[in-house]
Amino acid sequence: MRHALAGMACLALLLPSCGGSGSERSEIIVLAAASLTGAFTKIGADFEQANPDVTVRFSFGPSDGLATQILEGAPADVFAPASPKYMDQVRSDGPGVTDQAEFARNTLAVIVPSDNPAHVGSLDDLARPGVKLVLAAVGVPAGDYARGVLANAGIQKGALANVVSNEEDVKGVVQKVLLGEADAGIVYRTDVTSGISARVREISIPDGVNVIATYPIAVIDGSDHAPAAEAFVRFVTGPAQATLRTFGFLPPS
Amino acid sequence: MAAPKRTTPGVFVVLAVLGIAFVTLPLAGLIQRTPWSRAADVLTSDSSLTALRLSIVVATSAAVVSLVLGFPLAWVLSRSSFPGRRVVRGLVILPLVMPPVVGGVALLAVFGRRGFLGAPLNNVFGVQLTFTTPAAVLAAAFVSFPLAVLALEAGLRSLDTRLEDAAATLGGSRWYVLRRVTLPMLAPQIAAGLVLCWARALGEFGATITFAGNLQGRTQTLPLAVFERLQTDPDGAIALSLLLVAVSLAVIVGLRGRFLAAR
Repeated sequence: MRHALAGMACLALLLPSCGGSGSERSEIIVLAAASLTGAFTKIGADFEQANPDVTVRFSFGPSDGLATQILEGAPADVFAPASPKYMDQVRSDGPGVTDQAEFARNTLAVIVPSDNPAHVGSLDDLARPGVKLVLAAVGVPAGDYARGVLANAGIQKGALANVVSNEEDVKGVVQKVLLGEADAGIVYRTDVTSGISARVREISIPDGVNVIATYPIAVIDGSDHAPAAEAFVRFVTGPAQATLRTFGFLPPS
Repeated sequence: MAAPKRTTPGVFVVLAVLGIAFVTLPLAGLIQRTPWSRAADVLTSDSSLTALRLSIVVATSAAVVSLVLGFPLAWVLSRSSFPGRRVVRGLVILPLVMPPVVGGVALLAVFGRRGFLGAPLNNVFGVQLTFTTPAAVLAAAFVSFPLAVLALEAGLRSLDTRLEDAAATLGGSRWYVLRRVTLPMLAPQIAAGLVLCWARALGEFGATITFAGNLQGRTQTLPLAVFERLQTDPDGAIALSLLLVAVSLAVIVGLRGRFLAAR
């Protein structure tokens, strides 16, 4: 027992240097909007394959929450929120950013459980009394965009009265619809992935009232791994564009 | 009898001071970061008061549910012996050690719209539990229930059953004995259980946001309000956190001389 413990302790001490093998490895931390979870996980793996000396660690969450974390001094090398608003916040109130570029756009869609218990057939149905609607919270980009869509369609009052939960981020909205607890939710079109398309139905929002979300990316000033972080930003705005298309993101304007 | 003189090892004193700092420093940090000029505005804002009111309703209801369901179970566990009793006790304590998010998922599996109780409830009576205040109570009661059972079981075990026997011998019916002898003797443990459950329910977050969602006035309790505010208004979230600390502190002060006293 004692030997096993000693062995484990040695292992734990050795572990950080294991991957080193002479050349210096750098680990970059990327804070990205929850809506980028699928695409960035794939892009991160591709990037690591192209740059074997860099490890990418992701923290996905609501963009406003991630911005707050950066302002509070959380370690982060790259930031990719779902709205320029939060990049601006980090630039003006936080450590600052460099190499900022817009790398993708997205639009919104209504999703309902596949059995569509509330018989939602169009955006306007979200204002019908009794429809249990779930949105992302105010302040979360997906929540603000969704409220923008409802305002554009002129159904704000009725639809907001139907809201039964304000979720922490857009994945929370997907989850509640996927579980069949909510009758409908407003999410990004890219959230309707092949993995869930059998269990939810997408109801498109007319172009005239839809909102376009833009995604900026930048290196956070003070990064300890600035070269690797810059390389990741270049990768996202360059070779990874094809991956973003397959995940349904629109090209930057 | 002369007790041997005990001295506290110096290293313990140092570690004890570290222990005190470990608990008090985060609190001090919270107080230091509190935006006092805005605190009053934040605390008296509509959303804060709504969350406070809801938290009190939810925590109180959850504590009562836990106690009402916990008492018979504590009785059975402490006064009857049946095969598998230890297994039952282990299962009852499970929510205490289970991650609350997992508790929320488990509640969804049972009481959700597609859950095995929730589906018939929805199809037959048209009642959906999720996203309602009772769902928040259920989530809070789920995590606080073990505390009620543990407190009451310990109390029932330490009771002098001879007093109950005496009352019964003198002709008291079972209900009379329960009402006039057992429950009064158990009062301190009932109070302790109630407070423990209430405090645990007040802080409940993971199961609530998973099972009941987050809607102001309906399911957004104080911890959820703090969390939501933290994303956009960290200063306001700190002010709100301080309110939760104050409420918790009031509970401890209220408990003084009950079961917190060393002896």
